[in-house]
Amino acid sequence: MKAIIIDDEPPARRELRRLLADVAWVEIIGEAGNIEQAADMVESLAPDLLFLDIQMPGGSGFDLLTRLEHVPAVIFTTAHDEHAVRAFEVDALDYLLKPIDPARLAEALTRVKSAHAERARQPDDVLEQIFVRDGGRCWFIPLREVSLLSSEGNYIRLSWGKSQPLLGRALAALERRLDPNRFFRANRRQIINLDFIDNVELGVNGRLHAQLRDGPEVEISRRQARLFKGKMSI
Amino acid sequence: MNDASLPAQHTKSQQLYWILQVAGWGFYTLLRIFGAATILELPWGKSALELSLFGGVGLAVSHWLRNFAKRHGWAALSIPKLAARIAVAGFIVGIPLGIMTQLSDVSALQDPGPELKAYAPGLSAGMTVTIQTLLQITNWAVLYMIWLAIYFAAVGLREHRTVRLKQSELTRALQFAELRLLKSQLNPHFLFNALNTVRSLIADNPSLAQSAVTRLANTLRYSLSSRQDELVTLAQELGIVTDYLELESMRFEDRLRVERIVPADAASVYIPVMLLQTLVENAIKHGIAELPSGGVLRISAVLENEMLNVEIENPRPAAPSPAAGEGVGLRNARDRLRLLFGARATLDLDLSKPTVATARLRVPRRR
Repeated sequence: MKAIIIDDEPPARRELRRLLADVAWVEIIGEAGNIEQAADMVESLAPDLLFLDIQMPGGSGFDLLTRLEHVPAVIFTTAHDEHAVRAFEVDALDYLLKPIDPARLAEALTRVKSAHAERARQPDDVLEQIFVRDGGRCWFIPLREVSLLSSEGNYIRLSWGKSQPLLGRALAALERRLDPNRFFRANRRQIINLDFIDNVELGVNGRLHAQLRDGPEVEISRRQARLFKGKMSI
Repeated sequence: MNDASLPAQHTKSQQLYWILQVAGWGFYTLLRIFGAATILELPWGKSALELSLFGGVGLAVSHWLRNFAKRHGWAALSIPKLAARIAVAGFIVGIPLGIMTQLSDVSALQDPGPELKAYAPGLSAGMTVTIQTLLQITNWAVLYMIWLAIYFAAVGLREHRTVRLKQSELTRALQFAELRLLKSQLNPHFLFNALNTVRSLIADNPSLAQSAVTRLANTLRYSLSSRQDELVTLAQELGIVTDYLELESMRFEDRLRVERIVPADAASVYIPVMLLQTLVENAIKHGIAELPSGGVLRISAVLENEMLNVEIENPRPAAPSPAAGEGVGLRNARDRLRLLFGARATLDLDLSKPTVATARLRVPRRR
């Protein structure tokens, strides 16, 4: 598993490197001291795992994640910002407090490993989870739990359980990365998660309407209707 | 004032009350006895006995009145309400006492009989007695009104003093609490990062790790003992700032460079404890730590006309992160200066240059 260490303090990077020296299956392929460096490195080296400090010059670890097109597994490392990390609602990521306890590190790595094995079964280049920051809150959202993605100008509104966070990307750009077996473009503005469809009805205007579980009714555009029928009959 | 002194104070004011009561009524009675004996030439012994009796009854009634007023919380009333109650109370106790006086021999002391005869010779005997009684009643009523007025004036004065004393003590306590609260403690973020650095140095550079532990101990000790002292010399504070900066240099390595220019006369001036430390911490947090390539932190001090001028200059990012800006630390530092030195000490953060922040501290030299 390829990992990058991102921390602005050289001793902290050295310390983590030393701690990871005993873990044979983690290979450190790079170190970055700020988020500019880190962003370039992540794009070019495509690591599987980031060890990410939160307070850094030029932007925080959260800033880095919102900038990344493809977010790898993340383990946050922090001296005193655990409250910031705890604000996350998903256990899909972990955090380590500095000075790092080797036992806690091993625990976090085990979790990452099992998540990685899960991910390896999926076809490549399909977005599994997405990092969203809306206002003061951050989430790692597994896309399979998102029922609906609606375009709002240059943003995407995600329907994820009771939350409706806003993602700062265009719908068309994200669509290419979505699992085509799960997500379907219903109309110009909306993409639906097929797993969330409760039933489909023929409306008075002759169009199909998909009723989402615990969600709204979404109209399937005429152009997409044929494709949709084909997909649903499989 | 603490609770233990309250009963003592209470008995003291009780004593004073009884002394004034006995002295007042005694003096009043003696005057009347003297008047009865000399001016009216009444039989000396009998009038003295009667007047003493009246004095005693007067005192008892006034004491009862006072307890009544206390029970009903008159002291808390507004002046007009209190005045109305005093007037009514005066007449209520005045009526029985007035009638009793009219029936006694000493009524002659306030007998308007001769004057009445002179002004209205045709007045019937019954009418004369009525007017005489009314006058006796009024006499007692006015006496009690004056008594109550003096009593409440004294109570009011005492209350006022107590409240003012309490207020000044409260203000002092508040200022003290405020100072304690404002005094900055070491940033936990610094502490844990320093410990992480030490952990790393133990493997990389054991002798540097030893030095780091010593410096960290110094910094912690200073921060903990800063709860006792308000003021320290600039030299003392600089000692701890140096330890702190050494630790931060180990963390940031070549990103942090430090320059210091502090002449000996400036170093002897007293400044609030942990204040320079707070400013240096801010300079690192919002300046050096925010810059990928770091920069130079400059600390300079100069003593001019008995005023100490300290400058802390650091580079900062051109577009500060949203969390930056005038923080709690700076505001607290300013409040502490105000509480300790008044308006003579100042602290300013100069952000007029786009990539430099300069904190300027001015503190008068204490004699």
